[in-house]
Amino acid sequence: MIEVRDLEVRYGTRTVAKVPELDVAAGECVAIVGESGSGKSTTLMSLLGLLENAQVTGQITVCGVDVRNASPRELRAIRGARAALVMQSPQSALSPTTRLGSLMRAALKLHGRAATRAVMAAAVEAVMLDPAILRSYPHEVSGGQAQRFAIALAVALGAEVILADEPTSALDVTVQAEVVALLRRLRAERGLGLLLVSHDLALVSTIADRVLVMKEGDVVESGPAARVLSAPGHAYTRELLEATP
Amino acid sequence: MTLLRADNVVLSYGKRPVVHGVSLDVVPGGVGLIGESGSGKTTLARAFLGLLTPTSGSIWYGTHPLKNADMKAFRRDVQPVFQAESLDPRMRVGASIAEALKKPAQERVAELMKQVGLSPDLVIRRPHELSGGQRQRVVIARALAVGPKLLILDEPTSALDVTVQARILDLLAGLDTERLLITHNLSVVGRLCRTSHVLFAGRVVESGPTDTLLERPSHPYTRALRDAVPVLGGEPPAAGRSAPPAETGCPFRSRCPLAVQECEQPPPPREVEGRTVACHRAEEVLTGPAGR
Repeated sequence: MIEVRDLEVRYGTRTVAKVPELDVAAGECVAIVGESGSGKSTTLMSLLGLLENAQVTGQITVCGVDVRNASPRELRAIRGARAALVMQSPQSALSPTTRLGSLMRAALKLHGRAATRAVMAAAVEAVMLDPAILRSYPHEVSGGQAQRFAIALAVALGAEVILADEPTSALDVTVQAEVVALLRRLRAERGLGLLLVSHDLALVSTIADRVLVMKEGDVVESGPAARVLSAPGHAYTRELLEATP
Repeated sequence: MTLLRADNVVLSYGKRPVVHGVSLDVVPGGVGLIGESGSGKTTLARAFLGLLTPTSGSIWYGTHPLKNADMKAFRRDVQPVFQAESLDPRMRVGASIAEALKKPAQERVAELMKQVGLSPDLVIRRPHELSGGQRQRVVIARALAVGPKLLILDEPTSALDVTVQARILDLLAGLDTERLLITHNLSVVGRLCRTSHVLFAGRVVESGPTDTLLERPSHPYTRALRDAVPVLGGEPPAAGRSAPPAETGCPFRSRCPLAVQECEQPPPPREVEGRTVACHRAEEVLTGPAGR
């Protein structure tokens, strides 16, 4: 799904992210953890070629597409569709004057998919939402519903991998638990790959197979989540773990 | 002495009540108000700050109803700490803190900056030039400027990284002011509050010592909140049923795995094993499998 080798992101002379190796296989969840400014979100954005003002070097392959050398058309085919992006605040990513149904229809058409009522209803039902929600405007739904709708868009477009940047940190704990359960289910049922950026190590420990720990742009530790989070090899990972409530 | 008290407070937006007859005392040792979005916790906090007037019932400030109180003294005694985004983006942070002082003095601003663990050199910065954690420290410094007795903290750390959150919690725990903390995060309450009240749909469903509530909740909603918090290396958090609160009877019965016919009647608050709980089935929650 995702294969990265020797990725480096620079703004001018300043390197903001350096990732020697990052792979996400089908049905696998890989998490990038670290504090604000560690380069974790930058890494995620670079994978979809979304950093226009940065110099990005290295090999990035997402769903078989060489992101750095892809044409705009090839990029459009993966962005948002085969590789879906789920952000921290879904409500700010949804147009406030467009009903959720119109929004999903537009996304399906953009990617040349049939935008039938049945397809749309099936996608929202797959994330445990009532299809009636398609008639709502973004401000009429809760944060948890908006986040599930963002995931429903990925489902409707047949995403193979979801890139999620702090997808639950703006949500209540009970709603967070629902979204995490949903992501786990989609992984198991559809073989969806998941690249998760989070600062919540406790949450990561319950969902990720592998973890990359980033600090000030560098990967300081990586490996199976169970090992890294129970027997950390780097002092910074230990510091993060100690701060976890 | 109780500095602030809610006595059977009802709060409404228009005709829609969002807080239904809540009574609680802000006692020493830290008080937590826990609940999800829409539970009424922020609305109640706004009433405690005198920003909302109860539809019925009253807020007491010491021995006076808040509506008759000396507001100048009240504003000095009770200060809010909201999320860091409450700073004026155009103002240098030093000026933001000085604004709260009666006699603005550079030395006092520097002292406050140091008290919250910031270098006084940062006074000339504007909020966007600081990190999230630094901004939150500025908000705390500004609240401390008037020497308050009580801080009302509304999700003071929910936008912060874990390491930064831990440092802000240490800072707050070390202050000698009383605290009323509003949060949806049970693990934060454990650090700062000896007493906690769990709100659901505008009603207090369980109150008592925080440790007791976290270790052995007796209300199914408190239990759901606790079980939803991910634990390092633990099982995936339990996702409960999501449904709007019931309009009649126990508001939690639309989500409650233990709901029975009796729950169609509103559960009166009662004392059970060292806490107050409004649940017909509290005993079953307490003796549930493995305390769950």
